[in-house]
Amino acid sequence: MTRTEHVALKGTRDGLVLYLDPAADFKTLLGELDQHLGESAEFWRGANVRCYAGGQAYSPEEQQVLTDLLKKHALELSGWLSESEVYVPGKSQESQENRGAAIPEHEQRVDESQSEGKALFVNRTLRSGTSIQFDGHVIIMGDVNPGAEVIATGNIVVMGALRGVAHAGAMGERKAIVSALHLAPTQLRIADLVTRAPKDEGGSGEPEVARIKDNRLIVEGI
Amino acid sequence: MVTSGKGGVGKTTTSANLGTGLASAGHKVILVDTDIGLRNLDVVMGLENRIVYDIVDVTSGNCRLKQALIKDKRFENLYLLPAAQTKDKTAVSPEQMRALSAELKEEFDFAVIDCPAGIEQGFRNAIAGADRAVVVTTPEVSAVRDADRIIGLLEANELRNPKLIINRIRPQMVKRGDMMDISDILDILAIELLGVVPEDESIVISTNRGEPAVMDHSSKAGEAYRRITRRIRGEEVPLMNLDVPDGLMDRLKRLIGIR
Repeated sequence: MTRTEHVALKGTRDGLVLYLDPAADFKTLLGELDQHLGESAEFWRGANVRCYAGGQAYSPEEQQVLTDLLKKHALELSGWLSESEVYVPGKSQESQENRGAAIPEHEQRVDESQSEGKALFVNRTLRSGTSIQFDGHVIIMGDVNPGAEVIATGNIVVMGALRGVAHAGAMGERKAIVSALHLAPTQLRIADLVTRAPKDEGGSGEPEVARIKDNRLIVEGI
Repeated sequence: MVTSGKGGVGKTTTSANLGTGLASAGHKVILVDTDIGLRNLDVVMGLENRIVYDIVDVTSGNCRLKQALIKDKRFENLYLLPAAQTKDKTAVSPEQMRALSAELKEEFDFAVIDCPAGIEQGFRNAIAGADRAVVVTTPEVSAVRDADRIIGLLEANELRNPKLIINRIRPQMVKRGDMMDISDILDILAIELLGVVPEDESIVISTNRGEPAVMDHSSKAGEAYRRITRRIRGEEVPLMNLDVPDGLMDRLKRLIGIR
């Protein structure tokens, strides 16, 4: 979910997807990708990436150049995706549902409860300008300061003060929650719902959790 | 190095006062202005009219380091290395700054590096040769936000444990609840506090005259900077008492018991 003008890297339930602007010049794409990965490669290190470039087909030479560039940043190109396989805003809801139907029932239950899955532990305070994106749950042992953001496909738990932006269930999971010892976010998002902290700030001083109830984002004590 | 992210919070004033304070305590000090293209430190120090060579002349080999140093007449052991005014930040590279800092380290007890605002090349140059960092902020949400970002960048560049100076605090406003107080700021930034400097009109006067406030013993801000200087030298000094005397109305109200 980090992007530049023509390149975007997103974490999905099935791994990383690299979106390449089909209309952009190949050289431009490589330049942006190189710079972008240089900035965030640590975070993705060792991951498999699948690419999506709309209807654009690249020559074997170009694909080789791309593979080498990804390898330089410790990423593995594992295949190409067609339009029906990727998350495109707008048609997302539909494809999510289709996929839901195809998943065996026991797996679906785990998914719905949001109680299992991969988790990322972050052992520091996130200062302004930092961004954490993860396909799974995120637990932060520190504060999330104003100007920092956390985006997770699962739940977000902050063992400190959440004052920045948090987006749980980023791929549309409405059962996801955000909790913090001190919940005072600049903005809070779960799945497709967005809310701001009330003006009177501060909160209750108690640990709180935000979740979706009756199609609304609510905050309550734990 | 002295840095802040946001402009106008008092990096240059702080650099000038820390440098002067340390020099008056007997240390051999060099002030380095890295704000190439927008140099100010020479003006604040009142040394503008003595500049012949600048930092770019030194790093590009136009002159020797000794030739570019301006000796402050008021203090035996205070020197300034001014920034260039007609070039921009790309005129110096981080590698050159590292080499320069190594050279300065041989010669001086303290090198105070005045960092430009922003997080681009100028900032990267300034941090390249620094061992320790002082972050300046004011009690404003925007300045604290930028300070937070800067602290993150310092930590990412191995400059651990930066120290914080809160500048231009107005005790009266804090008391009324109209300004962030020290604990609000420390809550977010969570780094060690080096000192608190009150808003003081005498800073404007001393800056315009080119005489750092730290030399003026009647200035409140000057007193705050003297305390900060002593803390940098390793002394334990209590924070300045910033309590403002109650106004006439307050005293009257207390007298008739409505408080």
